[in-house]
Amino acid sequence: MLEALWNNVDYVASVVLFCIGLYIIIAKNNLIKKFLGLNIMETAVFAFIIALGVVDDGSPPIMGEGASGPFASPIPHALVLTGIVVAVSTTALALSLIIRIYRQCGTIEADELREME
Amino acid sequence: MYTWPHWLPLVVLTPLLGAALTPIVSLRTRHVAPWWALGMMTVTSVAAGMLILRVALEGPFSYLPGGWVRPYGIELRFDEFSASISVICLIGWLAVLYSFRYTEWLREVPKQRIPYYYALLLLNLGGMIGFVVTGDLFNLFVFLEILSLSGYALVAVSGEHIAEMAAFKYLLMGAISSLIVLFSVGILFGITGSLNMADVASRLGDTGSVAPAALALGMLTVGFMVKAALFPVHIWLPDAHSIAPSPISAVLSGLVVKLGILGMLRLYQIYYTSGIIDLFVLNQILVWLGAISIIMGAFFAVFQDDIKLMLAYSTISNIGYIVMGLGLFTNFSIIGGSVHVFNHAIIKATLFFAAGAMIYRTGYRTLSDLRGIGSSMPLTSIAISIGAISIVGIPPTAGFLCKWYIALGAFEANQPFFGFVLIFGALLIFVYYIRMVNAFYFQAPVRQEVVDATEAPASMLYPTLLLAALCLIMGVLGRIPLAFIEPAVQRLLTPLGG
Repeated sequence: MLEALWNNVDYVASVVLFCIGLYIIIAKNNLIKKFLGLNIMETAVFAFIIALGVVDDGSPPIMGEGASGPFASPIPHALVLTGIVVAVSTTALALSLIIRIYRQCGTIEADELREME
Repeated sequence: MYTWPHWLPLVVLTPLLGAALTPIVSLRTRHVAPWWALGMMTVTSVAAGMLILRVALEGPFSYLPGGWVRPYGIELRFDEFSASISVICLIGWLAVLYSFRYTEWLREVPKQRIPYYYALLLLNLGGMIGFVVTGDLFNLFVFLEILSLSGYALVAVSGEHIAEMAAFKYLLMGAISSLIVLFSVGILFGITGSLNMADVASRLGDTGSVAPAALALGMLTVGFMVKAALFPVHIWLPDAHSIAPSPISAVLSGLVVKLGILGMLRLYQIYYTSGIIDLFVLNQILVWLGAISIIMGAFFAVFQDDIKLMLAYSTISNIGYIVMGLGLFTNFSIIGGSVHVFNHAIIKATLFFAAGAMIYRTGYRTLSDLRGIGSSMPLTSIAISIGAISIVGIPPTAGFLCKWYIALGAFEANQPFFGFVLIFGALLIFVYYIRMVNAFYFQAPVRQEVVDATEAPASMLYPTLLLAALCLIMGVLGRIPLAFIEPAVQRLLTPLGG
């Protein structure tokens, strides 16, 4: 059991990171901190997908002279690149919402905002 | 004509490119933007009509962009479930038309920013259409994000005082669910080495890695549940849907939450074809969550005074019906659930359009303020009454047929208890319907604005009336979508029996 976990330590790490992010979103009061938790979750997922593409002793999947397998899988990199674009736009939207919340309510603490509602 | 293969990419690209170009074409005169959006939606609707004609005549078909063969390239796939783009186009088109006057009235939106509103709306509709027709798991995630992100922004547009808070709550839960979806797409990619749905389905059975597949199934279900606002992850919905501008409420409540359901249907397609896991446990969980959603949504709806908040809670209740239909997993109940995706979209759009027209004319949004509006806005009141009858499910309206089929499914699955839950939920909503009719028609007005109100402008009134008429027509012609979706459900259920 422990050995299986150790052999897949990259997957374990990303799951732990995912859970840390989720905990921050639930437990923290400040909207920006909540949002940083979301960014940590995003990083965890990206790290997980990148780790999927790793092949033992694999070389970069670039064709040309002297290229010989086994190659690392290039697909996860393409996926994560797209995922990062999505994450950036989520971040931009969330930060602009937080700015507007601050301008209207004068605070970005979740409990104070709840009282205002 | 309809066999032209490029209709399929066109139906996705038109709204997305249209959205990107909206700020450019309306650079000089912002009045171009609404017409531009309407034109884009018209082209999309034509393409959608061709696609549905083709799927009806020839059955499901695929399109391979760039000619890259499966599983290396990206695949667009159109089957009977994808025919729900018809309702996306219909309500999208009407919502754009409805927005013509509604956006001018929004205080918080500066006039020169209005083109961005249409860009976001087109982006949202394009994302939904893409989500429905894609045959690729990663693209499923990308389109899910396109429609969700534009949805968060559109909720914040209204300028009500807690709009940003509602949008932020929606964003936080929506972003977590998207990440869960992406995580499980990663797991599926890890165990099968493919992202194409059909390919994943055929490879999944041979991998033998049951535990990761079950984990991916569970996480995807949770992710789509958040998008569909099923109990216990519904908490973002009431605020977001009631605060958004009315045409957006119609789009969000009628269409966007249904995408979670369609995601679940896709998931079923993958997992049943592969047969790697017995879905009995998942089905039982879904049935119970659906039943709780029905009762809880209806219960909260009854006690709301705010008319749009009541409609938002009733959406939760109706999502419960659909999920219960899927969870019962019989022929009848899945057909009923899938058709309710279609019918509920029409009904809920009617209700939100009519409610929006009342708010537009009077400025009030609670039942106690809107008393006696039946005499000053007769047509809108009739439309909202027809919508309410449909949502209760009284024959001969659109809501009746689906609920009838889901109830039949409950008895077919030998679980009559859920049939009674369904009827109980309908009765609870009926109470609200009586309250509403009582307030609109039988109580004296308390506000001067309500007495002075006239019917909404034509661009708002006619979409409402058209949808109200559809609520009645779909009740009479309801067999057409039922017959249409039946072969798809048969295909979905076959691996189970044979």
